[in-house]
Amino acid sequence: MALYLQQTSNPSENSYISKYFYMNHLLRKSLLIVFCLFLLGAGVFAQNRTVTGKVTSATDGQPMPGVNVTLKGAPSGANTDADGSYRISIPAGKVTLVFSFIGMLSQEVNVNNRTTINVELAENPTQLNEVVVTGYNSTQKKDILGSITSISAAKFKDIPIAGFDQALQGQAAGVQVTQSSGTPGGGVAVRIRGNTSISASNRPLFVVDGIPVMDESVSGRSFGGQNDNTLTFVNPNDIESIQVLKDASAKAIYGSRAANGVVLITTKRGKANSRTTITLDAQRGVVDIIKKVDLLNSSELLQLQREAVINAGQDPDQRGLISGVTDGVNTDWLDAILRRGIYQQYQISATGGNDKTRFYLSGGLRDEEGVQLNNRFTRYSGALNVDHKASQKLTISTNMSLGFTTNDRVKGDNFLDGVYSGAIKSLPFFAPYNEQGKLYTPGSPNYAGFPNFNPVAQALLPRFRTYGTKILAGVSGQYEIIKNLKLNSKLSLDYNNSEEDQYESSATAIGGFLPAIGGQGYGVYITNTLFTILNSNTLTYLFDLGGKHHFNTMLGTEILQTKNRSSFASGRIFPSDDFTYINSSGVQDAAGSGFAQNGLISGFGEVRYDYMEKYLFTFTSRYDGSSRFGPNRRFGYFPSLSLGWRVSEEPWMKSLEFIQDLKLRGSYGYTGNERIGNFTYLGTWAASTYSGATGVSPNNLNNPLLQWERTREANVGLDVSLWSGRLSVIMEAYDNVTDNLLFNQPLPLTTGFGGFQGNIGSISNRGLELTISTVNIDRSANQGLRWNTDFNISHNQNKVLELVDDQPLFRGYTANGVSATNVILPGQPLGTFWGLKFQGVDVATGDALYEDFNKDGKISPDDAQVIGNAQPLLVGGLTNRVTWGNFDLSVFLQFMYGNKILNFSNVTLLDNGANLENNQVRAALRRWQKPGDVTDVPRYELGNTYNNFHSSRFLEDGSYLRLKNVAVGYNFPSRWLNKVKVRTARLYASAINLWTLTAYSGADPEVSTLDGSTSAQGIDFFTLPQTRNITVGLTIGF
Amino acid sequence: MVSKMNKYHISLVMAVGLWLSSCREVLEPRPIDILADQFVLNQASDVATVRLGAYAAFRGTAAPKVIVGDFTADYIQHNGTFTDYQELGNKQITSANGVAGALWGGVFNTIYVCNFLLEKLPTVPGVREAERKTVTAEARFLRGMANFIGATTFGGIPNVTSTDIDANKIVSKASKETIMESVLADFQAALTDLPDGSPTDGRPVFAGYATKNAARAALARFYLYQKNWVQAEASATTLINSTAYELVNYSDVVSEDFNNESIFEVGYTASDDPGTSAFGLNNLLVGRREVIPSNQFITQIISRDAGEREATVDFDFNEQGGGDNGWSVRKYGTPDEDNNNIVIFRLGEMYLIRAEARAQQGRITGATGALSDLNVLRTRAGKNTAATADKPTLLTTATQAEALLLVERERLYELAFEGHRWYDLVRTGRAQVVMSAFSPNWTSKYELWPIPQTEIQRNPSLVGQQNPGY
Repeated sequence: MALYLQQTSNPSENSYISKYFYMNHLLRKSLLIVFCLFLLGAGVFAQNRTVTGKVTSATDGQPMPGVNVTLKGAPSGANTDADGSYRISIPAGKVTLVFSFIGMLSQEVNVNNRTTINVELAENPTQLNEVVVTGYNSTQKKDILGSITSISAAKFKDIPIAGFDQALQGQAAGVQVTQSSGTPGGGVAVRIRGNTSISASNRPLFVVDGIPVMDESVSGRSFGGQNDNTLTFVNPNDIESIQVLKDASAKAIYGSRAANGVVLITTKRGKANSRTTITLDAQRGVVDIIKKVDLLNSSELLQLQREAVINAGQDPDQRGLISGVTDGVNTDWLDAILRRGIYQQYQISATGGNDKTRFYLSGGLRDEEGVQLNNRFTRYSGALNVDHKASQKLTISTNMSLGFTTNDRVKGDNFLDGVYSGAIKSLPFFAPYNEQGKLYTPGSPNYAGFPNFNPVAQALLPRFRTYGTKILAGVSGQYEIIKNLKLNSKLSLDYNNSEEDQYESSATAIGGFLPAIGGQGYGVYITNTLFTILNSNTLTYLFDLGGKHHFNTMLGTEILQTKNRSSFASGRIFPSDDFTYINSSGVQDAAGSGFAQNGLISGFGEVRYDYMEKYLFTFTSRYDGSSRFGPNRRFGYFPSLSLGWRVSEEPWMKSLEFIQDLKLRGSYGYTGNERIGNFTYLGTWAASTYSGATGVSPNNLNNPLLQWERTREANVGLDVSLWSGRLSVIMEAYDNVTDNLLFNQPLPLTTGFGGFQGNIGSISNRGLELTISTVNIDRSANQGLRWNTDFNISHNQNKVLELVDDQPLFRGYTANGVSATNVILPGQPLGTFWGLKFQGVDVATGDALYEDFNKDGKISPDDAQVIGNAQPLLVGGLTNRVTWGNFDLSVFLQFMYGNKILNFSNVTLLDNGANLENNQVRAALRRWQKPGDVTDVPRYELGNTYNNFHSSRFLEDGSYLRLKNVAVGYNFPSRWLNKVKVRTARLYASAINLWTLTAYSGADPEVSTLDGSTSAQGIDFFTLPQTRNITVGLTIGF
Repeated sequence: MVSKMNKYHISLVMAVGLWLSSCREVLEPRPIDILADQFVLNQASDVATVRLGAYAAFRGTAAPKVIVGDFTADYIQHNGTFTDYQELGNKQITSANGVAGALWGGVFNTIYVCNFLLEKLPTVPGVREAERKTVTAEARFLRGMANFIGATTFGGIPNVTSTDIDANKIVSKASKETIMESVLADFQAALTDLPDGSPTDGRPVFAGYATKNAARAALARFYLYQKNWVQAEASATTLINSTAYELVNYSDVVSEDFNNESIFEVGYTASDDPGTSAFGLNNLLVGRREVIPSNQFITQIISRDAGEREATVDFDFNEQGGGDNGWSVRKYGTPDEDNNNIVIFRLGEMYLIRAEARAQQGRITGATGALSDLNVLRTRAGKNTAATADKPTLLTTATQAEALLLVERERLYELAFEGHRWYDLVRTGRAQVVMSAFSPNWTSKYELWPIPQTEIQRNPSLVGQQNPGY
């Protein structure tokens, strides 16, 4: 039951991966074993003295187990034990020891006559050896052939983001992130390398600790455009790192779900043999709207309305538009419903481990008041990750993450009874409160009524509380069958639940004003449970042939089942507003329940091979069977092949010492998309009712040939790392084509159906990405200045290549004088805007001039044409980080260039007198008034919709440059802290959305009213702008 | 060691076996809230459910038809925010208007389900012959109704006679005459085989489903539109003479479903009431007040001659202000009220059909004259009015031309917001005169509704076949 402002034009988008640290650990072990094998084959050296010592980390002073200690020039060596201690026999004479460890800078030390040598290993700034999770396996960064961007927790730890999807914004080339609005706990659109699909989802696959997670709204009721977001149920502070998999080489292991990219999230785990650390973190801040739309005041609006009425040949006085009377009240409705919200977040975590057991434990609370009255998002979260080495061969692990949220929501956007949407439209002639300070409600003589009601009452009176629960849990075991042959088995659960507890009192629009719905209170209760159970099993085998041929192979199976249970009930006619639960309602006539499930069964494998770490080869493939497709097309195969050449390993490059790494790589492969509804391949009939009896009605046309969307992806990349990592550059180019588009193929209604689910058409995405990281100044060795810069920029060109025919497919909203705001057309990108072409205002008459596109002498819907699109030419981010002594500063700019925004709000707020029910924006003051006026705003005339036809007049440049985040921090010196038994303490302040440069006339260019929409993205329709959050935080470690 | 290996193998085999056995369950879940095609209408017990599906489909045409019939004409002004109704209020209707798509879609959806029944019924085993005959007749009645609405709204439309998707997606436009011929054939066949029904079945059954009387009413209206005055009068007379119906208090026409006057109406209950969905009439007329009665309509409906039919609308002071005259249409209630059905045929219309047919045949006064039928309605409209001076005046004399205008006026009083006005003005040739006076934007192109733009885009046979002017 909803109260829309405008109609939409179409009713219509594993198993196991090892954790980063876990695998890091395993890999160390396996390398060690490989190393030991070498040792066996090596000759015997003369050994006549012993050196001992301890290896610690330069970063945190912790002992480092498993560090290789070798004699320079000889394969012989030792490794450190759990305490970081080592013992090695060395021959007499001049000897140099080499200390090496993955991810750290190797160190060479001349022994001379010493018998004890303690070493501190520093992290390798080039990160070439960093272990990267690549799906069901992991590998070192330097060996990666696919396109993967890693984002470490350090990049978002000071930013008070609600969900990790926000952490991706501006941080990775090729990843476009748009927050749909400033609503806390709201939707975020993440698009990796463009949009590949029209009907199926364009969201990437999010995988947390090996579990593919539900990533969209789980609640049942519409709030006008803005949805909730289950990703906000996971505490970003429990995340260790995020990997974004972008090309076929990296993604194909996820087969049929990979076409939109894969985001792997690894949560924090304990480190072996580390002392227990307890960390407290507290953040507190304020939240404000970034900008208010400039609206008219009472007298300005009244004058405008009088003019519109006079222009229509009527008498404004008769309509009650009387100066000094009508404008006697002047309410700033936005001020009335907006507030400064308080944001707070508290977290406590503990981590540690010995040689057998490691753990990470955390609990957190986040509480954010939205800028709209009564809007609030609260999350309680907890995490527990444990790894236990049961024997030399068997390791068992568990991970568990819990999130409980309470979301007090408010309606908005396309809802007339929304809060922000109501406030922005409301006439200033009305007031929220009477002289006694009571809210004006239905029945009050000064109640505005339809269509804008009383937005303050709409904020304060209803209860729209959504309780969310998310449980992410997994148990896994790893067994080493023979050396380097490991069996991994994992059972996981992603459980999401929402309960919506709602009551709209008899003083609200739905509960009171509209008798068709509530009449006397309206209560709703909706539950929705969506969970995935997953079992995955992998076998990995690492081996070498002749010392030069290295193999890393993996085979796996996976079975996944998703189930959805839902129910709803509503009640009307409550005795009074003191009773707010359906138990007390007089009429309960709408209820329902449902169940749905779908499943996926897969086999997959991967071979990584390199010759002397110089020539690299990876072959990955997956075979998926999905319940969503017809029996004839149930299974799909998704292979990928990639090749790489580490030019820097060639002997003739060795002389160029400033080049640490130079790698050319290319990949080619296929991925798929299966994210459509269940049973769309099946011809079906559904239950229907008539006059109290129940029958069946046609529901869906049969298509046994329905199959996967398939994306053919080609990628070439160049990785360069120079001057010990002071400059590293990644350049990539890709060319992807998605075909067999899952597509509700429209049929003429004469068939009895509007369309059927088919596979027709193709979409291309081509793009370029550039990532540059520099260390501009580095004097950190002696507490001096260090300044580094990360920059990324990407360009994606999206184009619909082919559809069932050349006829436009309308999307978005219905619009005045044309079919819809958006269109899908071959040759155009998704997100293309449709409308008349506005050619200015006739100087003589003041009427809008539109292009007569079909030259038939009249303006009709047939004159509508493509007027722009929402796809940016460039997106990117620039982060500068400066550390100096105990201070650090990071400044993060994010930008989007070349996209258009449809300011659909202005169809109402700059409506040329189409009606008198809404306030107008300041631009209305420059309307045409008399012959000779040169302006871009047509004249105002009551009831004339011609001047308000949907046209390019409402389309604006949406480019922006935004100071997304500034964070400053101070680490208290340890000499102060030691006195109070504190190990670390950090004070920081952070600001989000501090400054924006844009030509957009609305409040905020970063909005999308149809949260999650692809074909109708970039529409501002009374969408709440982003918020500016200013936060102070303190982190203390014990 | 060997035994250990064996054990290992056995458990491995068992695990793999278990894993594979779960595949079927995972990959082939059974749909639980929908029915696959192969299970539809293949046994006798399915006939009743698909029959209801045909009624449900036809019900989908009812609200859009009311909107087309009344909102296109001079009864309303726009008062809301939706583009579709703004176009209707301002008489700037385009082929993109959602109402055109909804009515067109409803018509062909009905035709599809009826054709499905007509094609499959002869082959379903075990169906009793009487039921087969009745349901066949109902399908023909509903198909005829759908085609009649289609042809009177859009002019020529495709003549769809099968469920063949491939044929129907490229079907070309048939002339209005062809469609009307098939409508007549359907109505006549329906009249033969439909049940008589009886008020003793209960009004919700008697008036909620097609009966011989419903077919007669359909024929009366059909002949009226076809200007076959003799047949129109004859069909209407059969119903007027029937003892199954009576003229009830007009307030009951406004506020009661399945009253004793109702010949055929499509039924909603509280649980499937359209509520705030796109074409919920209560939502459009009372809740949102997307459109409100026009001032000139109000003047007429509250006049003395409208009498108790004034109950069609009511006034709320709180709504008045700005361009809002404060009046709302009351014929479609909320789920709690007893008037959320949409009437297709009722006895009152039969008097009007007969009056017009008689007037057209030059019979104005006397017991078999047009005015006597109008007076029946006027008498009813004054039945509960105490003061004689307030009762509608009874008509005594008129020329033929005056009589026809009186019929037109009486139809306004009697049938307002039941989906007739625009159809009446068009078929009587009065649209241009009446509507031009009402709206400066009116042109003669609006005497036909535009074929939905998407239909022309999707069906190559319709390219270039748009109605003139759109």
